[in-house]
Order: sequence, then structure tokens, then C-alpha cells
Amino acid sequence: MSADRSPAGSRVGRGVPTTTTRPIVVDRVACTGRGICASILTEQVSLDEWGYPVVRTPQVDPELGEIAVRLCPARALSLGVPS
Amino acid sequence: MTVTSTRADRSTTPSSAGPLADLLESAGLTGRGGAAFSTATKLRSALAHDADVIVNACDGEVGAAKDAWVVEHHLDELRRGAELLGRRVTVAAHRGTPTARRITAAGLALLEVPHRYVSSEESSLVSLAHGGLARPLTKSVPISLGSKDARGRRMRPTLVLNAETVWRVAQIEALGPDWFRSQGTLDEPGPRLVAVSGAVARPGVVQTSAGVSFGDLVAAAGGFSGRPTAFGIGGLGGGWLTAAEARGATWSGGDLAAYGLRVGPGIVSVLDDTRCPLAHVARTLTYAAGESAGQCGPCMFGVPAVAEDMGRLAAGTADRATLQRLRGRIGLLPGRGACRFPDGVAGYAASALRAFAPEVAAHLAGRCDVEGRGRRVR
Repeated sequence: MSADRSPAGSRVGRGVPTTTTRPIVVDRVACTGRGICASILTEQVSLDEWGYPVVRTPQVDPELGEIAVRLCPARALSLGVPS
Repeated sequence: MTVTSTRADRSTTPSSAGPLADLLESAGLTGRGGAAFSTATKLRSALAHDADVIVNACDGEVGAAKDAWVVEHHLDELRRGAELLGRRVTVAAHRGTPTARRITAAGLALLEVPHRYVSSEESSLVSLAHGGLARPLTKSVPISLGSKDARGRRMRPTLVLNAETVWRVAQIEALGPDWFRSQGTLDEPGPRLVAVSGAVARPGVVQTSAGVSFGDLVAAAGGFSGRPTAFGIGGLGGGWLTAAEARGATWSGGDLAAYGLRVGPGIVSVLDDTRCPLAHVARTLTYAAGESAGQCGPCMFGVPAVAEDMGRLAAGTADRATLQRLRGRIGLLPGRGACRFPDGVAGYAASALRAFAPEVAAHLAGRCDVEGRGRRVR
């Protein structure tokens, strides 16, 4: 997990495919607890007893993250800068 | 001890940020509203963005009283401090309070704030000042740099400072950083106000500094009015020390850190042996549950759930599974709201479970040793 993080930024500039992760960010005011994020980001996001997301590990696969952001019905998800 | 001689020694900060920020940095002034962030850093950012100024005189925390005290006794200096910080100044106070009336009578612009705990949170005040609701906002960028309102419209950069902080700014400008640093500790310099309430003879605001003993704090409030069992530190955003722990500690960040607490917004409330600490904590958490803005699910559902579990514990109807569920619910509150209210509530509840561990054990066994005088509570 840690190995695919730090060197990624420098590789992006050289046009090499990146394996970097991006942090998933939940807008807590916008979130309505539909739980789509947890069904897509199964490793990183779980739901509390009321169905609101618990982000166990913010760093997610960028492709899966993009899907979660697109499918969130409350538009409560966004991806932060790669790390 | 003139202001200029101290100023002359400092050349490390950009002059564009303003000499006042340098002065405040020399003094080591930090926010007296609880977050203890460097006032100089906040001011530099505000000056760079020509920020509006909101003086927070809401006493929003449970047990707070010092903002009202500053407005009542030092309004001219408060005004002076605010005018040093920016050109457009508003003072925020709860609607219909004597504090609000004093601000208006003095000819200062008043921001009338509705009575709710989270109404006086930084982004709530800025939202309210921009014609929105007094509710915390999701912060895309810091409020001091101009965040966005609930509809996504950009708001003016705004510097929000606690009333005591602004009063201290005026004092530091007039008396100098050396005067300021002659009080308090190296880590927490300067005079501080503490609202002392609960089982004391004369509840009120005490002028003191970090490093004061709890005994001296209570003495300044007329002494104990009963037999103390615990000290509430910092209201709902703080937690608890037992009376025995308080005897061996001073009111300072260094000593309080051992218990996960801070000097915070300057609040000490004394609990005596006529009241069950768990029942008191449960009542406070029930109050907290009604103070959520109801915007974020984890807070809207989590805080009432924590209050309910604590209520069961206090009533002697909780078992080990309830306690385990309570700890789990507390653990899921932090970092999951637009503001830090759920974080504060989680810290308060966890601190109560720590300080009142013997009472927790007694209640699990169906016994309350305080209000029930050892009788079974179920």
C-alpha cells in the first residue's frame, strides 16, 4: 500500500501510468446515507448503524473513487489531490 | 516596557502582514475561544485578504460566561481591539441577551445569533453574516480565506475571534508583549478569564492565568459550597477530572493533557457529592443531542444515541453490552461532521467514562453510590 504512494507524483510528469491513490472526501452536510460509496469502495468505506459512511482508509483507487463520486445520489463525494 | 522597544527586536515577519501581527506573535496570544490557534497567524491571513471581522461574544459553550463579562466590563477596549483587526467589524451575541443589548447601546454593529450550541461556531457565524442560516458549513477552504455558503456562493474572507481574544489584542497593543508574557506559563502566556460555576459560593468569571491551582480558582469563586467530587473542564467540548486528580494538577495545558483535556474556552464547573456524576453527564448529553443543527447524519443520530446509552447507564438499566455499544458509538463520532461538535461530544462522553469509572462499575451492578446513597437503582 505504502509503496505505490510517494513515487507516483514524479512518474505522472513523465507520462508513465500512475498507480497513485486519492483520498475520498465526504461532504457530511450533503450526505444522505444511501450507502453507494460503501458498496463500491468495500475495502475503505463501511456504514454505521444508520447507514452513514465510515471512511476507514481515505486513500482509494482513483478509478473506483471516480465511480463512487459519479454514482453518489447526494453528490456528497469528492476526490482530493493524489498522494 | 514600551511597545516600540519590543517591536524593534523583531524583523523575521513580513511587514505587509502588519506590525500588530508581529506584536501578537511576540506576546504569544492564542484564541481564547477554545481552539488556542495563534492569533497572529490568523490575523496575517485576514489582513492579506482584507477580511471582515466578527467578534464572537456568544459564550456558546456550556458554562461559558466570559464573553458577556468582557462586554460588560471592557467594551471600550473590545471596540478598540476590533478596530485594530479590521475595517468592517461586527460583534456576535445571542439574541435578546444583556450582552446583545450592551453591544447595540454602544453603537457597535450586532450580529444576532439564535440560541443553539452550534450557532456560534465559526462558519455558522460567517454564514449568518452573509444572510444564511446560523449552521456550520462544509469548509472547502478556511473561513478566513472566504469559503462558500450553503448554496455554493463565495463568502467574504472573515476573521472570527473570541471576545476575550479581541480584548487581549487591545491590551497587548497598549501594554506590550512583555506585560502579557509576565503572566501565565511559558507555553501558555498571558492573563486568562475562567468562568467558575457549580458547587462554589460565588459563581462567576475569575481573572487568572494558566498554571493556577484548582484550589486557588475555587477560592477566587468564594470557595466550595459543597463536597467536591469532580471538576468539569471546558464544557461540552472538554471533559472531567476527579476531585483527587484536580488536587494534584494545575489549570494548564501541560497538566490537563494527561487527561486528554485543555484549558480551552476557560470553563471550570464543580460537581458536589449531592449529584450523581453519570446522571449529570447524561443530562448534559441529552441537552447536546438537542443542540445539533441536524445537518450531518453521524451527529443527528449519533449524539442522541450516545445520550440515550449514557442515560441507561445512569439509570442503572445498562449492561456490559450497552457499555460496549456506547464506547463504539462514541468512537464513531469524531471527524464525521461539518463542524467539530460531534468530536467535542465524543471527547466529553469518553472523558466521563474514564473519570467516573468506579461509578460506571457501580451502576452496571445496579447501584448508585451518590444520589441513591448505595441503594439499588433498578
